[in-house]
Amino acid sequence: MGSVATKTSAKGAAEESTPFPSLSWFERLSALMKDNLEHYKKLGYCDCVADFCVTDGGPKGSPWIARVTFDAFEVLNVEDVGSGKTPTPDFMLEGSLETWRAMIESISDGDGRPALDQTINYLSHFHAPMNVTSDDPLRRDLFYRYNQSLQSFISGSSAFDTVFS
Amino acid sequence: MANLGRGVTDLKLTPSDIPLAGDDLARFETSFEHTKEVWGELLEENGNRLQKGNLSLHWMNTEGSAWNKSRVKPSSRGLTLMDINRPDVYGTVPKIAPHRKFASRGSIRDQYLNRMPDVSDYTIMDRDEVWADNVETLYEEAVARQWKATTDVPWDEYEDIVKLPEDIRLASAQVATFLTEVEFVAADMPAKWLYHIPQDFLEVKMFMVTQMMDEARHQEVFRKRAIIGGGLLHASPGFEWALKVILEAPNHTMGSFMLNLLAEGMVLTIFRSGEMIAPTQLDKEIFRLTLQDEARHVSYGVMQVKNYLDKHPDRAAATEELHRFADIAEQVMLTTLTEPTVIEPLAVLLGGGIKYAETKGLDGVAKLWDMLISEYLQRCDRVGLDRHARCTLPRTAPWAA
Ligand SMILES: [Fe+2]
Ligand SMILES: [Fe+2]
Repeated sequence: MGSVATKTSAKGAAEESTPFPSLSWFERLSALMKDNLEHYKKLGYCDCVADFCVTDGGPKGSPWIARVTFDAFEVLNVEDVGSGKTPTPDFMLEGSLETWRAMIESISDGDGRPALDQTINYLSHFHAPMNVTSDDPLRRDLFYRYNQSLQSFISGSSAFDTVFS
Repeated sequence: MANLGRGVTDLKLTPSDIPLAGDDLARFETSFEHTKEVWGELLEENGNRLQKGNLSLHWMNTEGSAWNKSRVKPSSRGLTLMDINRPDVYGTVPKIAPHRKFASRGSIRDQYLNRMPDVSDYTIMDRDEVWADNVETLYEEAVARQWKATTDVPWDEYEDIVKLPEDIRLASAQVATFLTEVEFVAADMPAKWLYHIPQDFLEVKMFMVTQMMDEARHQEVFRKRAIIGGGLLHASPGFEWALKVILEAPNHTMGSFMLNLLAEGMVLTIFRSGEMIAPTQLDKEIFRLTLQDEARHVSYGVMQVKNYLDKHPDRAAATEELHRFADIAEQVMLTTLTEPTVIEPLAVLLGGGIKYAETKGLDGVAKLWDMLISEYLQRCDRVGLDRHARCTLPRTAPWAA
């Protein structure tokens, strides 16, 4: 995930840029969540295990997945689960690197507010270009129950520069 | 309370506007006269003691109190229902409510039962008519995720709506209008049953109150949205039949099936679509906030209907009854799904304008239709009600078949 190709904006110093996809990108979002505790407290509990999948973000275009465990107002754990592992997450949000990149760039351009057609719900609603999958409709619905918190979590990426591999 | 400035003399009411209590008051008087023996005795005892300046202090007798043996502690989130329900004495929800009084589960109450009134309207005495295994966590989540329609929506951006092309503005106002028409049934329905649930099932009652608060906020936010950006437009007669089914369902579980699983499931899909097709950031915010609440209501409905079927002593008969109810509920829901006040504004928004409403727009609505039916069937599967063979809703939209 390492090679630096493009910067989404010129907000931060070069050493602060974070590659995508990478665990450090999600860890950075988790740290921002902690820093903005009051904001997340206002949104309310977020209790779920979410897999964020870049369908072609792994070696040789294979899937790359970060598993993020949300608990109340913070992230307990971020881990690389390769192309998936058991137990299954509550849900998985998946999209190609190109889709993730367009979304992250839109968030950056909007200073944390993505364009109308670049929210996680917009992109996944018709199952393309993103998709939300789960083996249980109740657990899939957690994506909706915590949608504002999850959007806020991803939108946190406007606080730093992202570089794409 | 409008027009208070006109003066009281102008606010004349005919007798039929607010009827007098009449015979109902006479019945009430007779009823309390009959029970005076009990409450009059309490009054006399307490009055006599107070006249002598004595205190009873019986409430300091902790015999029968569980506190010393069952201490609870807050968890990282504060003190949740799950924390206080950890000791059996407080947390065990009886299968059958032991009485129709108000006294709290886990309090020292047995010795007072014969001096308390019965609430005859508490008729849902079996927990499994209303219980859901996730109801405590849903209550806590609901309380934690409350928001304010007045200030949590960026209303200062309302000019963005005013400036929208007319077709888009009217379509978004019509969507908001139909939502104002349907939202509050989801408060009326729990209100109807809440009153019949005894106090020992307090967690269910508390969750229902959060749902009612959520729906009040939904009514509020869509009313505000319509009025600030396009006005309240047309009512939807087709929808009102579904609302009537929700209110008149023969038992709580059937009402919950229709409201929380079928209708709220559908509204959740519409809210997700609303977020997707929102023409402004303000609208996006509204739909993101409301869809979260709706997903909670769906979650209660799924787990409640599941619990009802799982625990029913005659599961086969209960399942067949629910199928019979769903046969009608689905057909009435079909009436709503074909309402022009719903389908057409969605088509305009999905198409990106009236020009493309019949092409790209209806294609989009057809996709929503597929999604709605397949998610409904998945939720039915989840509760153990296999509707695949029996579902009377067309799997694809009529124009896409
Ligand atoms: Fe609602
Ligand atoms: Fe609802």
